Formats: sequence, C-alpha cells, structure tokens
Amino acid sequence: MALLEVKDLRTSFRTEDGVVRAVEGVNFSVEKGQTLGIVGESGCGKSVTCLTIMGLNPKRNTLTGGEALWKGNDLLAMKPSELRAVRGDEISMIFQDPMTSLNPVHTIGRQLIEAVLLHRDVTKRVARSRALELLKAVGIPRAETRIDDYPHQFSGGMRQRVMIAMALINDPDLLIADEPTTALDVTTQAQILALMKTLQEDFGSAIIMITHDLGVVAEVADDVLVMYAANVVEQAEVHDLFHRPQHPYTWGLMGSLPRLETDVERLTQIPGQPPSLLRPPNGCRFHPRCPYVMEVCKTTVPELLPTQRDPDHLQKCHLDEETKERESAKLLAATMVEAR
Amino acid sequence: MEAASAMPATGDELLVVEGVRKYFPITRGIIFQKEIASVKAVDGVTFSIKPGETLGIVGESGCGKSTLARCIMKLLEPTDGKITFDGRDITGLSRSAMRPIRREMTMIFQDPYASLNPRKRVGFIIGEPLEVHGLGTPAEIKRRVQELLEVVGLNPEHYNRFPHEFSGGQRQRIGVARALSVNPKLIVCDEPVSALDVSVQAQILNLLKDLQDDFGLTYVFIAHDLNVVRHISDRVMVMYLGKVAEIASREVLYREPKHPYTGALLSAVPIANPDIGRGRAAVVLEGDVPSPVNPPSGCRFHPRCPRFVEGHCDVEEPPLYSFGRDQVATCHYPLERWPMTAEEMRRTGTKTSAEPLPA
Repeated sequence: MALLEVKDLRTSFRTEDGVVRAVEGVNFSVEKGQTLGIVGESGCGKSVTCLTIMGLNPKRNTLTGGEALWKGNDLLAMKPSELRAVRGDEISMIFQDPMTSLNPVHTIGRQLIEAVLLHRDVTKRVARSRALELLKAVGIPRAETRIDDYPHQFSGGMRQRVMIAMALINDPDLLIADEPTTALDVTTQAQILALMKTLQEDFGSAIIMITHDLGVVAEVADDVLVMYAANVVEQAEVHDLFHRPQHPYTWGLMGSLPRLETDVERLTQIPGQPPSLLRPPNGCRFHPRCPYVMEVCKTTVPELLPTQRDPDHLQKCHLDEETKERESAKLLAATMVEAR
Repeated sequence: MEAASAMPATGDELLVVEGVRKYFPITRGIIFQKEIASVKAVDGVTFSIKPGETLGIVGESGCGKSTLARCIMKLLEPTDGKITFDGRDITGLSRSAMRPIRREMTMIFQDPYASLNPRKRVGFIIGEPLEVHGLGTPAEIKRRVQELLEVVGLNPEHYNRFPHEFSGGQRQRIGVARALSVNPKLIVCDEPVSALDVSVQAQILNLLKDLQDDFGLTYVFIAHDLNVVRHISDRVMVMYLGKVAEIASREVLYREPKHPYTGALLSAVPIANPDIGRGRAAVVLEGDVPSPVNPPSGCRFHPRCPRFVEGHCDVEEPPLYSFGRDQVATCHYPLERWPMTAEEMRRTGTKTSAEPLPA
C-alpha cells in the first residue's frame, strides 16, 4: 500500500466573481522514501493540491472532492481532531516564505517545543533537548545559544533551516515542501537541498516537492507531475520526463529555460499568459497557447493517458505519438547535452 | 588590451566606474547623531562597459549589486569613486545638472507590481518621462506611447488601462516601455525577470534582446540567476560582499572560472537534466554571507573558501589579478581548471603567478 494515495482530487473556491476550480482531478501516490516533484507556474494549482491534502484551505468557501488516502484512511473525510493528530506529526509541511511562516514574537525554541508537545506526551525538558538535536541536525551553528533567539535574528537560509527542523521534529513519514528554496540564494538553495537529501536518507521520509524550477525537480525528484491550469498535463518518472517529454506545455517549459550547459540564441517562449481559472478555455486548457493546436483541442478535453512506450508515463494531449516523439527529440537535441 | 575589461581604458566606453564605494552610516543618538559604524555595501568596484554591450552582475543577496546600480543611476550618491558616463564625469553633478543625463540612462525594476503607480493609467506612466523632459506636445507623446506599447508587444489600445488590469509579464513590458520612452543609451535592469514565471521570463528576455538589436542599447543586467545572466550577457561580473570577485567574458567565466566563489556559485545551480545534475559533487559553501558592517579581513571570501590559506588570505587582500584576455579575479589561489569538487579545490592551490592590475 502506498503511503499516500490521492485519487481524483478536486478543489474549488467560491469567490465573489464565481467558482474558481483550482484543482481538477489529480491522481498520484507517494511511497516511503520517495520524492515526488510537482512542477508548474504560479496559479497552476500545485500548492492548492497540497493544502487540500493537509486540510488547510479555508472551510468557508472551499469545495473538495476525491480522496486522499493516508495509510488507507481518507484525510479529506477525517474529523478536525483526527486530522490535527496526523498533521505536524505524520505529515508535515515546509512553507515557501521563511520570513512570514515563523511567529516573530516567540523564540524559535518555544515554537519548536510547541510542535513536540502538541503530539508527544513528554516534559518540556525532553522537548527542548529534541529541539536542540534537530537544530544541530539541520546545521545551525551554536544551536545551544541560538535556540533562544527570535526569528528576526536569523538570516533567510537559517530561518528555512529552522522551518525544516520544525517540520522534521516529530519524525514525519511525509514531508510536503512548498517551494522551500525559492526565496533563497543559489548557494543557500544548494545547502538546503543537500540537507533535505541527507535527512531523507537518515529518516526515510517521503517528500512532496512543489517547485516552479525544473532544475530543482531534475536534481531531487523520483517522479514528477507537471501541472497547468488546475490539471496534471504530464506525469512520469524523472529521467523519462526529461528524456522523452510528451506534452507541448512541458516542451515550452523546457525550451524557455536558460541553461548553464547549452547555448541558445533565443529562448522558445510560450506565447500569452496562463488562463484565468474563473473562466478557463474550453477543451484542452493549454490550447490558446499551444503551437500544435488542432480543431479537436478547442472542444474536447484530452484524457490523461499512458504512452504506448511506457504505461507509467502519462500525458494529457491529443497529438499523435509520432509527432510527439519527433518534437520531443528535436527539443532535446537543441537543449540537452549528453551526460559526461 | 588585457586589462581593458576591468580597468578604465580611454576612449569608447559608455560607462566607466572607478573605485566606487557606498557606505551607509549606522548612527546612535537622536540630536547628536554619532556615526558608530557603517555598512560597506559597495567597497571599491571598478569596471567599464562598451556601447551595445550587456554586463551581467551576479551575486547573493546583500552583495551590493542593487546599491551599485543605484549609484550608477545617481539615485544614491557614492561615498567615494568616480563614474564617467559617455565621456562626462557625473560623480559630483547636482540634481539639476544630472537631469538632462537621466534621459540617457533609465532603469527597469524588479517588482512589476510595486514599480507602476496603481492610480495612473498606462499611457501616463509610459509618457511621463517624455513630459518631464519636455519631449513633445501631448499629441506627440500619445503617439509615441502607442508606438512604444506596440514595440514591447502590448496592444496600443490599452493606453487607457490601469496597471492592475495587466498580468505580471505584461506589467514588466510596461516597465520596459517606460524605460525605452526617452531613447536612452543605457538601461540598468535590476532583477527584471526574477518575479516572473519561467514561460513569461523567456518572453521578457527575448524582448530585451530584440530591443538591444533594434536600438543598440547597452544593458547593465543584475540578477541572481546564473542561467539568466549567462543567456543575456556579453560579460559577467561576480560580486561578493561589496567587492568584485571576478569579471570575465561570458564564455570564459562559465567555462573556466578563476575565483573559488564563482566556482561555488556555478556548481550550486540546479541543472535541468537528471543525468548531469545528480552525479556531480557540488561545492556546497558553509554558512552565510558575513555582515558588510564588519567584513572579514584580507580576502572577504576567506571564511567560506575551500582553498583558504591561513596567514595569507586572511591578511593580504587580493588585488585584481589579470588572467589573459578579458578575465580578472581577486584571488591569490585561483582555480586551475573547471569543474572541480570542493575536495579537489582544497587539495590543490598554488599561488598565482598572474600579474595584479595596476591600482
């Protein structure tokens, strides 16, 4: 049994302007020790997917459908008290912005201890030593003195380490990281990614990594979901995705990426803007921006289907396989260099 | 001509920056403000740019790249040093003497949501620089604005819309149109694409390149994304804690970096190719950038440098050494080859025989 199995997850928000369908039928599963990458641009529904799983969307205006089976139990059907027992203990989350997700008026020690005391029946002293242990594990220098510092006394990278320490303090089975390195410099990003990798090896946790950076996905993920306008458009094992991308949107993302290792005079740009989810286009959501658009794309939503070559490589596009193979090979020849 | 890239040469440079420093005082007291220390945001930076060239400036946050941009634009008065723009020394110029020159250097800002006045219509925002400089009658300005909207790929009929009616990428196009309006020679771009999504980022990068070809623009392009800088720049300057770490032509910098910091930056960039990215041993730097209030002695990078040599790097500040054509770096023990792992960096390391540039 998979650790987390998400089936046909749907989320929509009632707003003053109408219903925003933010997630329209997402399926995936995460195994122990695996990393799932979810990649897409802002507003594609990648964060909402995870907030829905965690039950963190505002109750008042959110409609949720589908199932999120955590060790066999549906998280979406749980009572708030049951969910609270899972959240922060078995599943924990790292948020994007380390500047705003720590409470500025409490010391980081107090915040870490609180996370332990909520889920474990231990004394404050034990909780504090656990907090200290984690701060050391995430590489905060002079942890014994820094545990009593306030968030503003830490740099961005250090705050993100504190967030990771807090997320890992109860040995979670699943860690959801929502753009954990986006606000950080490259050198700090490299430190944090390396840290998450070692911690995954040590604790055996599964990770869901949400990011807009294909580079980060290529470095850490085992499986990847590519999302566009509330839908998964492609889903594959990471090497497969990068060697044999099957969806025009994935091609666009890869082509629009300036790269360190290859020269291109002009980036292939995706024309236009991502659509509004209030009034998404008919048919395939990507058709107004797609260079390969056909008549059928404008009326019929394609299904997420496996490719002939590989049953685990799913894609949501009407184009025939032959064209896809040809175009993806062309893209690779232009952008990727062979491994040395 | 080896030194040309870093040192002010005579003649055809559009912008020459010599030993520019910007210190922000830290004061104590209310009435008698006593200066107790200073933030050395930019501490002696020298470089030059030729017309039509793009100089990329990279570095981590807090390395002084934005402060440097503001000094070049004279939005901040440098504490020390000299800036020559188009043959004129603009360092000591008063605000009024500076005004005609502002027509020739404009700026594109990072945040397209904060840099456009939400209460003004797009036509006014783009036309305002023309109005300020008295370039044309209202009718001419309107025509020019519509032409500019077209140039940056927006619909000229959107003249009367407000910024909130546009997406992030479109807003950045408005910022580009405003910068272009007065026909500048130099555009300073301060992280123009870092707030944008990848697909939109590519649109803006392509637009900037096209405009450079069409109008012969010169760019100073500040970014923290090394991929983006590599794509757009002719030459790249790497900054660390207010100082130049390395300046080189794009090909050379990315192929044979000399400064260990450049190496560390390059190896930290995630590569969008699982075959290459995963196998390599990245040079992971320890710790954070030190405070610019009290920077480390000697070489500012020494506390984090894998090839730090005690008694030398922490004592003697490295000058700008010249490494062949178009490459200078401030390191006593430059990298012999690339790529290297942190372990290899530590093991080898001989003192450079390169000549320091004359001060």
